[in-house]
Amino acid sequence: MRKSLLKMVALSLMVLMVAGSVFGAGVQETSKDVTVNMFQLKVEIKDAIDGYAAKYSAATPGVTVKVETLGGGADYGGALKAKAQSGQMPDIFVIEGRGGYDIWKDYIADLSDQSWVADTDLAFKVDGKVYGFPVAIEGYGLAYNADILAKAGIDPATLTTRAAYEKAFQTLEAKKAQLGIDAPVAMAASVAGGMWWVAAQHNLATYWGGGLDFNDTSIIEMALKGRLDDARFLQYAKYLQLLFKYADQKILLNGSYDDQVGAFAQGKTAFLHQGNWVDPNLKQLGVTFKVGYAPHAFLDKEQKGLYLFAPSWYCVNKESPNAEAAKAFLTAMATTADGHDYMVNQAGMIPAFKSVKLQPAGQLSQALMAANAKGGNYGVFFGMLPDGAGQNVFGPIFDLFAQNQNNLDRFIADMKRAVAGLPNM
Amino acid sequence: MKQSRAVNILFVAPCVFAFVMIIVIPFFFGLYYSVTDWNGVSNNVNFVGLRNFSNLANSPDFVYSFLITIAYTLINIVLINIVSFVLSLVVTSKIKRRNFYRAGFFVPYLIGGIVLGYIWQFILNNILVSLGTTYSIKFLETSFLSLPHTVIWTMAVVNTWQYAGYIMLIFVASIQSIPSSLMEAASVDGAPFFSRVLHILLPMMANAFTISLFLTLTTSFKQFDMNLTLTNGGPATRFMDTPVKASQLLAMNIFNTATANRMAEAQAKAVVLFVALLVVSLIQVTVNKKKEVEM
Repeated sequence: MRKSLLKMVALSLMVLMVAGSVFGAGVQETSKDVTVNMFQLKVEIKDAIDGYAAKYSAATPGVTVKVETLGGGADYGGALKAKAQSGQMPDIFVIEGRGGYDIWKDYIADLSDQSWVADTDLAFKVDGKVYGFPVAIEGYGLAYNADILAKAGIDPATLTTRAAYEKAFQTLEAKKAQLGIDAPVAMAASVAGGMWWVAAQHNLATYWGGGLDFNDTSIIEMALKGRLDDARFLQYAKYLQLLFKYADQKILLNGSYDDQVGAFAQGKTAFLHQGNWVDPNLKQLGVTFKVGYAPHAFLDKEQKGLYLFAPSWYCVNKESPNAEAAKAFLTAMATTADGHDYMVNQAGMIPAFKSVKLQPAGQLSQALMAANAKGGNYGVFFGMLPDGAGQNVFGPIFDLFAQNQNNLDRFIADMKRAVAGLPNM
Repeated sequence: MKQSRAVNILFVAPCVFAFVMIIVIPFFFGLYYSVTDWNGVSNNVNFVGLRNFSNLANSPDFVYSFLITIAYTLINIVLINIVSFVLSLVVTSKIKRRNFYRAGFFVPYLIGGIVLGYIWQFILNNILVSLGTTYSIKFLETSFLSLPHTVIWTMAVVNTWQYAGYIMLIFVASIQSIPSSLMEAASVDGAPFFSRVLHILLPMMANAFTISLFLTLTTSFKQFDMNLTLTNGGPATRFMDTPVKASQLLAMNIFNTATANRMAEAQAKAVVLFVALLVVSLIQVTVNKKKEVEM
């Protein structure tokens, strides 16, 4: 018995040693050259960033940048945790807001001294220090089909109050058959279609930031302490109700992203509640009509701005020996002509840096860029909410309101309770 | 024949190694993390006692997921076993092309849950709804997946479509192992078909039912993939005066908690799922075992 036990132990040790040598083999570095590992989540820019990293590596002796991409519904956060646990934390990684910062703050380097910081309004900051490099500007308003509005005799420039929207929606609803549309708005709110974020994240963000100064976070900070601004929220809820009421009900209650964008692209709705990331989709679907952005004007008073934000930020791993090389790579992206060409022409993004003079190709991106140049836009602050608040708490509330659109009081009461619970999340 | 002990150990070692590393160690780690406030990354792990568990009783979404999972499991057990039993009677009867039917009923089981969810989502949300609107069939005009009170039933039907063929195979094997002399003798004595099924087939198949009930119980309780792709937890409904996701089963609730970086809380939920499943399946197997007959 004792003998077999010994054999067992010896065998297990052997297995462990074999496993160790197999797994350990990859870690060894063969040369003194630095390899910067980047791990990012935008699948749509994979080819562009791979190309730029190769170009940068070729132009910079001694530095090789390797990019790994995981996203598009895949669990980036989970994969990054797995990398951190196995000691393979990348040198550059992505956070999507305050929730991500709180999780990863032990790894995130201070970037306040970088040269690109003065060139952007959208760096990720905590307590005045810069921790994140803005990947791009994204933004939204209510996208409209200019041809349909012209046929219906609506001037999009007048859509700056809730009353103006109500009138426009009524006109469109009355002329539905004549214009060949199914409904005035393509709006989505369903948990089932995976579209909770359109309503419970992006639309709700108009309440957090609309009509305020670009950096004014007073409303969301109030919410993080558990309170809503009742008068303001009532106006917001009425606007949301309006969007729901005049939306294509099938898309609203059950539609997917493709259903929503597809309906707008085929001219079946006059408005679309989506950001400039739909540009490639619209191109793919062969859209030839003119597209623009009207503001989400939910207040009684006039609102003319669009909602601009950086959806994600690159962070540098301060524990890494290659942190300086990683910082240099990001600086080159923000300050060199090659970097600008990559961001705008290759990746099709709107860079968050003011010194970039190139124009993006998409119609909605151009509208955003024009709005950004004009100023008077609003900030998007849902990234400050605790993780899971949008998906697990607000999502079902908005879905239920979409099912029972006349029950405004119930919606407001539900939101009040949910916001009161935020400080404990 | 005497076998070498070393050879035995050598054969078992890889499996034992994998089992220990992938199941046993993570299981105890999981138990540990369920009583901490770990967020999945931080090295700073604090012991919080049973706080994660006591919070669960007051969170409407978890209580709802727990109850809806039990309801879904019950519907599934009944539906799948009845359908499979009927199918197995059909394919062991003397109908033509019965081997073709056996294969046909089994094929859905070979489709992965993710793919299957998307296929049925398309059928339910698009095909049925456009049939309904084209021919003005009232009850088809809104998708069954968009109504809180039909969504669980719809999921159970889809799951039955997938799983019934597999359970059918177990029943078929069991029916074929019953000596045909028993059925023939009964038939000669003039027992009608239903009496034969009720008094001979069912008692003789008791061991197959032990397995099929166990399989349907555990798979329904742990259902995730089809839940994610077919309904994603939606639509919303009201429970304990709070909006919750009407079809978010327990496994998906755990997943959504974990992806919101609430690892310790998700782990506590997973422990509850484990204990509930353990207790229920132990009771089921014990009760079923008593009903089995020895030849």
